Amino acid sequence: MGMTVSPDSQKAAAEALVAAASGIDGVDAEVAERSSGTNPRYVVVANASPGSWRTLAEKLYSEHAVDHCSMVTGIHWPEGDAERKWEVVYHLMRTGVRDPPNENGIVRPVIVNPSKARGASMPLELEIHVHLPDSTTPSVDSVQDIWVGADWNEKETWDLVGIDFDGHQGMRRVLQPHETPKGYHPLQKQHHLRYHGFVEMYDDAQGFMRKPADVGKIK
Amino acid sequence: MAEMWISMGPQHPMTHGLWTLKVKVDGETVVDTEPDLGYIHRGVEKICESRDFTQITTYCDRLCYASANTWSHAYIYAAEDLLEVEVPERAEYIRLVAIELQRVASHLMWLGAYGPDIGNLSVMVWCLREREMMMDLLQELGGSRMHYNFPRIGGVKRDLPYGFAQRARAKLKLFLNRIQEYEALFDESTVFLVRSQGVGYAKPEEMVNHGVTGPNLRAGGVNYDIRWAHPYSVYSELDWAPPVERSSIKGADCYDRYRVRVEEMRVSASLVLQALDKMPGGADTYHEPEDPMILAKAPSRAPEGTTGAHHFEDSRGESMFYIAGGGEGRGKQPYRVSIRSPMFITIPYAAKCMIGYKVADIPAIMGSFDPCIGETDR
Amino acid sequence: MADEDQNYSVFNSRMLVDVVGDVTDEALKASRMKDIIGVLAGRMFNWGQRKSLFPLHLGIKCCALEMAAAGASRFDAERFGVFFRSSPRQCDVLLVNGPVSKKFADPIVRLWEQMPEPKWCIAMGECAISGGPYFQSYNILEGVDTVIPVDVYIPGCPPRPEALIDGFDKLRQKIIRIGAAPGDARPDSGAPLIAGDE
Repeated sequence: MGMTVSPDSQKAAAEALVAAASGIDGVDAEVAERSSGTNPRYVVVANASPGSWRTLAEKLYSEHAVDHCSMVTGIHWPEGDAERKWEVVYHLMRTGVRDPPNENGIVRPVIVNPSKARGASMPLELEIHVHLPDSTTPSVDSVQDIWVGADWNEKETWDLVGIDFDGHQGMRRVLQPHETPKGYHPLQKQHHLRYHGFVEMYDDAQGFMRKPADVGKIK
Repeated sequence: MAEMWISMGPQHPMTHGLWTLKVKVDGETVVDTEPDLGYIHRGVEKICESRDFTQITTYCDRLCYASANTWSHAYIYAAEDLLEVEVPERAEYIRLVAIELQRVASHLMWLGAYGPDIGNLSVMVWCLREREMMMDLLQELGGSRMHYNFPRIGGVKRDLPYGFAQRARAKLKLFLNRIQEYEALFDESTVFLVRSQGVGYAKPEEMVNHGVTGPNLRAGGVNYDIRWAHPYSVYSELDWAPPVERSSIKGADCYDRYRVRVEEMRVSASLVLQALDKMPGGADTYHEPEDPMILAKAPSRAPEGTTGAHHFEDSRGESMFYIAGGGEGRGKQPYRVSIRSPMFITIPYAAKCMIGYKVADIPAIMGSFDPCIGETDR
Repeated sequence: MADEDQNYSVFNSRMLVDVVGDVTDEALKASRMKDIIGVLAGRMFNWGQRKSLFPLHLGIKCCALEMAAAGASRFDAERFGVFFRSSPRQCDVLLVNGPVSKKFADPIVRLWEQMPEPKWCIAMGECAISGGPYFQSYNILEGVDTVIPVDVYIPGCPPRPEALIDGFDKLRQKIIRIGAAPGDARPDSGAPLIAGDE
């Protein structure tokens, strides 16, 4: 009963992080209230400039125990402002996980009591947007050495969207075939799906409006 | 001894899906591994950019087909975050029933596939028999054996059928007895114990840095679970705790991962029973589809600049959807749907875990991480 | 009959087998026994093949779980002679149960070519028939029949295990009709069958 992290303490932790992160030049952070059906949740949402992303990432990892990189998303905005043609969204989390301690050969599991989570064990969600200016080869600093979880995410972002990551070791095609032509990144907006703009010859081509009386009719 | 690369896959009985695991072996010892994914990359993220929000639910079922309900609910929570919809409480309880039943079915499928990896073929038919029981329940709820398309933005598509609670309780009671048979089959089998204990160690802090969550992480002795860390649905109102395994100094081995999932089946079954007891309105009342008790009205357009994201505890870890609104049709379709698949991150990590062990340990290690390639390749 | 350079007997065992074979063949043809034996043997092979179809242990996507369920205890496919084998060299049915991506098009054609004749292909599920819900995708072929000749289509997303068993039944009926001719000698009456079409 009530086995959950309380939203208020999460909000307090989020605000503390926002205060610390806003200190970095080029970072603009706030606490956003999102819903999850029934409970409110508080997420740290930050906008970082490409130059300050690496500093922010290192600071989050070393000082604020943000230990988990969940997802790296690349978005192409061909109709955005010149400074916001590409966007990389990082979803990071603080999980508060630490290795179970070894007490004289007995390893005890670490059971976090959710209602008593404090400080570095307070789970937190972060969402960091990095906007990149217009370019045929957009790129942003890689965080592969900070969070290994970002490794394959960055490969996938480059593979599908085309955003390159500076300092990423072993960048390769990971979801598409290895022989895909260089420069083909399907999630860019100029590439369309098959049958894009296909005009049906008949109304109701798939027969959604057919009734039992229409059995035997062709159109 | 010369080293050579062996390619296991894409068509291989061990791989549980279509991917290639290239292992570099020195004699029988694995020296290096390289997973090769993408054989069923369907471009779901691109396709979703030209579908309405309600049409995307059908694609999300098919992402991880062993655990379809958890994925469609993961998407629906993100879409509700985007469209700012409040869900009625009864609908949340029904969703919880569907999600936890699906979690049980997914773990049963895993156990039924893990047994043959280790060499225990009878457990496959036993687990699939129990899974048929769960699938009957899910078929009553959702209408189909596998891809139910069950949740709607703002609620669920229909209420619990007449007599569902009674049948669910009877089947789960039978199932909780049967779990003891499987445990006996594995725990009393020396072959299984030797093949799975001491193999494939993984430590929690390293796992979290690599992005591994879910039962694989809880096997390492930490109880991190998104259902309590970032609560959603009505988990906070039920009495449960995620199962944790006491691991060794070196971390979690395959046996711990197996035990965590068996305990998770028990926890999920008890969650379903509690939810059926505590459902607002009672589990035996039936509301018509589109009744406000089970479905709230939801907008169908998301203006540009809005985003929705939701972390979700899937059977295999933390899944998440990030949706950016403002696409075609003046916002009727999303601009970008981004899917986080736990297995996409866990498979490279599991491939690293194999280094140093023998080739014969590869099915045991890979199977214990529960790969599902549908969500990996999206 | 012999090379001038050879100085061993021109009539070796290889020649003996050939001559005896030719003589027997002529005798059987003359007495019309050859046709009878051909018909009987063909019928027996046909019966053996259709009663024990060995599909390949290939699981592409969701339909693979229904295939697994079809092989499990409730819908036991093994009582129909259907037994999954891991190596393509030992199979006669390629059960394609998911979408074929560009990366997998090459391996699936290689699997098909590795299977010895006689062989058949069943396309299970919408993704294998026409690309399914992913027909617009940049990475999915529109149906496996763009690269492999398909004999039976089983519609469904996913088809129930009963539908899969019915698909095998349709394949058996097709084998009765067209016999077990190698692929290039198949007459046009080997048109694909669609399970569920009565």
